[in-house]
Amino acid sequence: MFLMRFTERAYTSYTEDAVRNSPNGAVRLTFSNSNFDPQIGARQYNEYLDEYEYCEEVGFDGLMLNEHHNTPTCLGATMNLEAAILARNTKKPKIVLMGNPLPTFENPLRVAEEIAEIDMISNGRVVSGFVRGTGVESLAANVNPLHNRERFEEAHDLIIKTWTTPGPFRWEGKHYHFRVVNPFQTPLQKPHPPVWIPGLGSPQTLVWAAERRYPYIYLETDPQGTQDMIDVYTEAARESGYEPGPENFGYLCRIHVQDTDEKAYESAKGFLTGNVGVGRVPMPKDYMLPVGYGGNRNDPKVAKYLGRIRKDPFLGLGLETATYDQILASNRWIVGSPETVVRKLRETLSVIRPGILGVWTNDGDTTHADTMRCLELMGQEVLPAIREIGAELELTDPFQKQAQAI
Amino acid sequence: MVAFTEEMVDVGGTKVHTLKGGSGEPLLLLHGAGGNNGWLKSVDALAEKYTVYYPSHPGYGKSERPDWLETIPDMACFYTWYLETLGLEGVRTIGFSMGGWIASEIAAMCGHSFSKLMLVGAAGVKPNNSEITDIFIISPAQVLDLMFHDPAQAPEYQAVYGKDPTPEEAMAAESNREMAVRLCWKPYMHDPRLTSLLKRVSIPARMVWGKNDRIVPVECGEIYQRTIKGSDLVVIDNCGHSPQVERPDDFIKTALEFLA
Repeated sequence: MFLMRFTERAYTSYTEDAVRNSPNGAVRLTFSNSNFDPQIGARQYNEYLDEYEYCEEVGFDGLMLNEHHNTPTCLGATMNLEAAILARNTKKPKIVLMGNPLPTFENPLRVAEEIAEIDMISNGRVVSGFVRGTGVESLAANVNPLHNRERFEEAHDLIIKTWTTPGPFRWEGKHYHFRVVNPFQTPLQKPHPPVWIPGLGSPQTLVWAAERRYPYIYLETDPQGTQDMIDVYTEAARESGYEPGPENFGYLCRIHVQDTDEKAYESAKGFLTGNVGVGRVPMPKDYMLPVGYGGNRNDPKVAKYLGRIRKDPFLGLGLETATYDQILASNRWIVGSPETVVRKLRETLSVIRPGILGVWTNDGDTTHADTMRCLELMGQEVLPAIREIGAELELTDPFQKQAQAI
Repeated sequence: MVAFTEEMVDVGGTKVHTLKGGSGEPLLLLHGAGGNNGWLKSVDALAEKYTVYYPSHPGYGKSERPDWLETIPDMACFYTWYLETLGLEGVRTIGFSMGGWIASEIAAMCGHSFSKLMLVGAAGVKPNNSEITDIFIISPAQVLDLMFHDPAQAPEYQAVYGKDPTPEEAMAAESNREMAVRLCWKPYMHDPRLTSLLKRVSIPARMVWGKNDRIVPVECGEIYQRTIKGSDLVVIDNCGHSPQVERPDDFIKTALEFLA
């Protein structure tokens, strides 16, 4: 089992009123950056990097990063920068990029170069995830949402070809055109760094990932719905001629541990101010899912899967409306002492059977000190116990079994 | 009410749903980003004097979209083909909002398509001192709110916007919105070449704007008026983005006067 640590690296020094009074009452896209204080940012970037570096010491297998734009909910706006720092300052853990939002880039070759550099600096420790980005990413980069999926797939194809085919060659696609593709630096890992696809379970992406044998990482999706998503992936994998196992699946889960249940209950409240923003003000639909972003509903390849995935009772992303206690009672966030956390995790792992577990240890205004203690306890008690459960449940990870060899 | 027919005009293999009615010389109406609102009072009044052709743009409503059609200049090119298919040349035209942008591109691209050009709250040119409202990052309900200065004075407001859409209507509206995103995303609602090309236009032209247009500012009308030689700008008081719906009598009066 592969255990990777994650946090959104939130900035929380603003008020709910500031969000409510912002254009469209949105914490992302149009929430003015006049609410940002770079002095606080300077402290936080360094604390967040310290935490990630400490994760190597406590025994995580991977350091999972992401990025978002125009938002205080995630200070990682250029994940590859943080990845490059961690590549140099750590020695063992994989640097897991979950992931570069391909459609937003005008020049995917730059991404290919950056990841190749990070792969070499880290001595071959990069896992290169790719995402479509939320609607906000499309809007912030001013990329037509209607082109999102086409650009995702074309940029992916171009990057993989760039990594695997000797240049120079020419690329004349629909959205990307290059007369000379020939970045001089290529990745250390051959044929290229592993590609994992994180997401919220859109059938089109599940099928696309399964066809390429890319592990799919479910981003804290509803466990019932996740089983349906696994079925969609599995069917597509079988049509592609292979039987997927735990090595094809990852699951991201918020797991916060402290010395006692009571202490954890208090310090995990940072989850309520993190990726949903201070005040948990629901985002406008037209920001997260702009017109056209949903893709082609009539594509026969995916039409058969529509309606197959059970709806998330918490309406997915952000869990905006449920109360803290409701969420904890549902085990969607696992919070408590080491003993409590391990007991609850066993259930989640038994149901979803992921070979990769993303451990979202903290978020929002959970303090740096509480986060460090959480990580320490993870290393001392939780990670070893999860590894035992993983072995018992035969949750093989992609490094134990090459899921994506084609 | 003037009788009208619905037909599918085959333009090089693409079927274009077209409302047609009235008598007299041809008049082409080009609808805005939201889609074809049908045979409203203002259309009917124009059909008293002219043979009105009121197509749904490719990709809108029941009209098909050829795969290559992605931009407003593509659309303009397509409409020159549409007119050719119908055997029409030198027609009068009125373009509303995004349809005004299409009409301007056609006028600039093909000198013999139109004999008179009327633009109503037209997109297509970039204002210098204001902004065209970004209708793609707000909800349709917010857009509707911004479209009218005072919905109470629009006699057909309830009929067009007042009822909850059926699931089919909601899906059609979403699909229309997608087409607008396809056509107008970037540069947003304008073509940087257009003001240079419009200097070529020498047919009579009139701009009609609601004084209180909160979608496409009156400044765009002023730019069009300055750019197209010999044109004029009629500003209607107490009126928003859609004079033909909000103040149909004022709109019909100025339209008929210009088209005569």
